[in-house]
Amino acid sequence: MKKENVRVIRLGHGANCSSIGSVIDTLFVTAAVGGAIFAALCAAMQDEPVRVIEPEEEDEE
Amino acid sequence: MIVRYEHWGAWVKLERTPALVALDRDGVRALGLDGGRAWDDVAPVRKSAPLEVHVAVTQRCAAGCEGCYLDATPDGAEPPRAQLERTLDDLARRGVFTVAFGGGEPTLRDDLGDLADYARARGLTPVVTTSGLGLGPAKLARLERFAQVNVSYDGPAEAYEAVRGFDGASAAERAIEALAARGVNVGVNVVLTRATFDRLHATLARARALGACEAQLLRYKPAGRAVSLDYRAKRLTLEQAKRLGPLLREIVGLRVRIDCALVPFLSADPDLAARPEDLAQWGIFGCEAGAALSATTVDGAPLPCSFARGLDAASFGAFVAHPPEPCASCTLRPVCRGGCKVVAQHLTGTFVPDPECPRVRGA
Repeated sequence: MKKENVRVIRLGHGANCSSIGSVIDTLFVTAAVGGAIFAALCAAMQDEPVRVIEPEEEDEE
Repeated sequence: MIVRYEHWGAWVKLERTPALVALDRDGVRALGLDGGRAWDDVAPVRKSAPLEVHVAVTQRCAAGCEGCYLDATPDGAEPPRAQLERTLDDLARRGVFTVAFGGGEPTLRDDLGDLADYARARGLTPVVTTSGLGLGPAKLARLERFAQVNVSYDGPAEAYEAVRGFDGASAAERAIEALAARGVNVGVNVVLTRATFDRLHATLARARALGACEAQLLRYKPAGRAVSLDYRAKRLTLEQAKRLGPLLREIVGLRVRIDCALVPFLSADPDLAARPEDLAQWGIFGCEAGAALSATTVDGAPLPCSFARGLDAASFGAFVAHPPEPCASCTLRPVCRGGCKVVAQHLTGTFVPDPECPRVRGA
């Protein structure tokens, strides 16, 4: 897995019920810390069992 | 982990490390997976489902917050459990990852824990927001069944009262402490207003001391009871909006989220405005209404977001695709998407660049 293959990372669950939230701390960490987060996520993706979901078609609005 | 293929690759939802990761097709292949039918066509063949849906499980609430976006009342409407279960079934079928229960005060429902279990059984991650008022042992036990619980907390005493019109800070603080003591992932929702902005550090320090692991900062929005002349007196000043970036940098010891409506304010921060790719990579986006986010009312009706009632979808889409200046030339346009449409509609009656964005106000 290369960094350029990752389009977006959204960390955590968030639990607000009115608007979507984005973790902002990662913008201010050093490249080394950001790299460590990326590496941990890549390791987790290799490690966790996979379940594929196949959504039904969405209605176009 | 849960994998949902998209025409461009896949969303991957990690379970042990809570995160959503969007991978391109090569990234998916690196995991030994293939998108199959979803990748058959170059152009998208279907609209992507939301990542997160906000479900109003009740319009009942005794708190009476002055700015309640749902206009919740003690005798507000409450959908039957069967309706909510149908909604959860539908969200699971569509491949939604997270369902955020709100209201009204969700803990007024005796079946709240059962609804969380129902969501989990269908592969959805349930989270919930509460005022923290009246949380006894039975309600706390129900909240343990959620992946995360956020308590509305705008600050100690006067700061809380300045936003909500009553002093509920003590109850909120007891709730944060009690949930954390039970091992629940507990966060706080902090509404940024003229009165709370400059006290944010003290608010977050208090929340952290009580056991909160995360803070979600929210822009004050003109919806529900907040649609009033008072809105203009409570919203952030231009100077405060400009200081959001520096303020965020100063926060330590607590994971911080900003809501979609605060993203336009980052345009006033030269460093962040120059890094739209970084914002996108870390999932920091502006208006996600009707895309990554949607909502359902207590009647079960779909909305683009919890605040967006009566928005014209076609005009909305056209504005996001081709916003006028000063959005058109803004470096953050790809992530900001023109700012909060609910604010723009309230202040101008139409879709225009967010009138409270510092870049727009300076144009």
